[in-house]
Amino acid sequence: MSSDAGSIPAASKIEIDDREKLFKNRRGIPKCALAFSLLFSFLTIHSSPQSQPILRVSAQDYENYSRLTIQSSQPLSTSIEKSDSFLFVKIRANSPFRIQRESFRSRFIKSLGWSQGRESYTLTIRTEHDNFSFDSFKLPDPPRLIIDIHPDGDKEPGRDTSETPVDRPSLETKRRRTNPPDLDPECIVIDPGHGGLEAGAKGKFGTLEKDLTLAIGMELAEIVRQTRASNVVLTRDRDVDISLEDRSAIANNNKATVFISIHVNGSYRKGAAGPETYFLSTDATDEEARRLAFMENNSENLDNNIQAEDEDVIKMILWDMAQTAYLKQSSQLAEDIQNELNLLWGTRNRGIKQAPFKVLTGVACPAVLVEVAFLSNPQEERKLLTEEFQRKIADAIYAGLSKFLRENSR
Amino acid sequence: MEKKKLVVLAALVLLLAVFMILYFNLGGNEKPKSTQFIPSSQDESESEELKNPVAILLFFPSEHDSLLHREEREIIPESSLAKQAKRIVLELLDGSRQGYLSPIPPETRLRELYVTREGVAYVDFSREIMDKHLSGSSAEMSTIYSVVNSLCYNLKPIKKVFILIDGGEKKTLGGHIDLTSPFQPIYDIVAK
Repeated sequence: MSSDAGSIPAASKIEIDDREKLFKNRRGIPKCALAFSLLFSFLTIHSSPQSQPILRVSAQDYENYSRLTIQSSQPLSTSIEKSDSFLFVKIRANSPFRIQRESFRSRFIKSLGWSQGRESYTLTIRTEHDNFSFDSFKLPDPPRLIIDIHPDGDKEPGRDTSETPVDRPSLETKRRRTNPPDLDPECIVIDPGHGGLEAGAKGKFGTLEKDLTLAIGMELAEIVRQTRASNVVLTRDRDVDISLEDRSAIANNNKATVFISIHVNGSYRKGAAGPETYFLSTDATDEEARRLAFMENNSENLDNNIQAEDEDVIKMILWDMAQTAYLKQSSQLAEDIQNELNLLWGTRNRGIKQAPFKVLTGVACPAVLVEVAFLSNPQEERKLLTEEFQRKIADAIYAGLSKFLRENSR
Repeated sequence: MEKKKLVVLAALVLLLAVFMILYFNLGGNEKPKSTQFIPSSQDESESEELKNPVAILLFFPSEHDSLLHREEREIIPESSLAKQAKRIVLELLDGSRQGYLSPIPPETRLRELYVTREGVAYVDFSREIMDKHLSGSSAEMSTIYSVVNSLCYNLKPIKKVFILIDGGEKKTLGGHIDLTSPFQPIYDIVAK
């Protein structure tokens, strides 16, 4: 650790020095003194908004990058600029900040220094290499600017994304649970079921489920693109194998507003006919709900100190149980789509169904699985083979989807 | 004198036997903690007199609707929970005698069946249940819930059913229903 003092107000510098000494002499001093000092520093952080806003900087190393966190007691307006091995973070300020720094040891960050300009502060981050890239994003409560510094140029260099947050998945899922999903920019994720070696159901005339789902999915995507100003993502646009987990991950990584998985049904009974729309059954989420409660109680651990090795595990757990939070909306979406399909097929209202579909469990937004018809039924198979009918199905699904989006945009 | 020695010896043997019984019973309580399974050969003792046939209900899909239908059948009770559960699955694999549909590919064999202390039955099928499966959500649902409902309905200690294939966990039968969590029975899908 080294510190370029810049122009830090004297008081805070003393405090930093004291704290450093304290940590150096950790073994020598009684524990209660350490506790008191921690309590004291905690109080100074949280009691000061009335007097003077605070900027607190901390850094932590992960396996492949260093994460710098700038925390404030008031919302931050920032800009970031990269030059050689330096990164300059400019923070606009109407009134003076009190700057606090924690001691840090980092493989990628050489030093941190503050300077004060007119109505702004600049944090100068000196890295170990010229060749680095960074990501940045903001988090609320308390307001934080997070900058991840990657030592090699494996990421696009100098991308400042602080205005459109790039979230880590672990933080991301948590944020989405607390914010109503309709505040995000609209993104419709369409998942044509099966693909590649996984053909799905087979019809009497040799039709494969994977081919029909792709045709209908592409059609639906085209309709959404033409009709709405929304982002459309297909989990596959050709005949490839994609794991069920990856399909959910695609939805979550794109911050999907809605996830629609398209399938064609198959049954042992030849007479089985008509469309069915499913959402995830609550049975399947029993255990997930318990885990959710556990994670809520321990959510502090999620935000802080996620070690790089653990990050994958935590991400997986969050994605595992993601759909539990959206079951009510998912059932509404299922109903809107099923109503339209009933009109198309002239089926009596069969109602929506619930089942533990693997592809739905991890999706962090309203999500349904549509069985557009039965491929095991030769009459329906023949109908499904015509482009005209594929188009009609896509239209019907779109009608249900847009009704749902209307009902849910306030 | 000889007689007295013999009595003492007999008493010692008896004591040893009592100890061993106690030891193994207690041991039996600890063991599932580590393995999670109760071997199917346990609880051999229970029932010599319970040889009267008992009625069970099996659940089969039907050509007429999308529901599962009950079929009553009589079986000779087995000596343990796991054996009884095996019997029920084997009856299901045999297919319906009342003209209902067979929910499991006929080539499928039951490899093993365990029941944990927590009431989770692990039913291990041969890979034909997946390879020869018709695929399609409805077909997968009827396969899975004919097994789950038949086990949970007839054997109250079984609360959940975990389906294994070829001794291991698989994600799905054909890309739809999640096999990585245990199933609870659903009786809504049974015909009245």
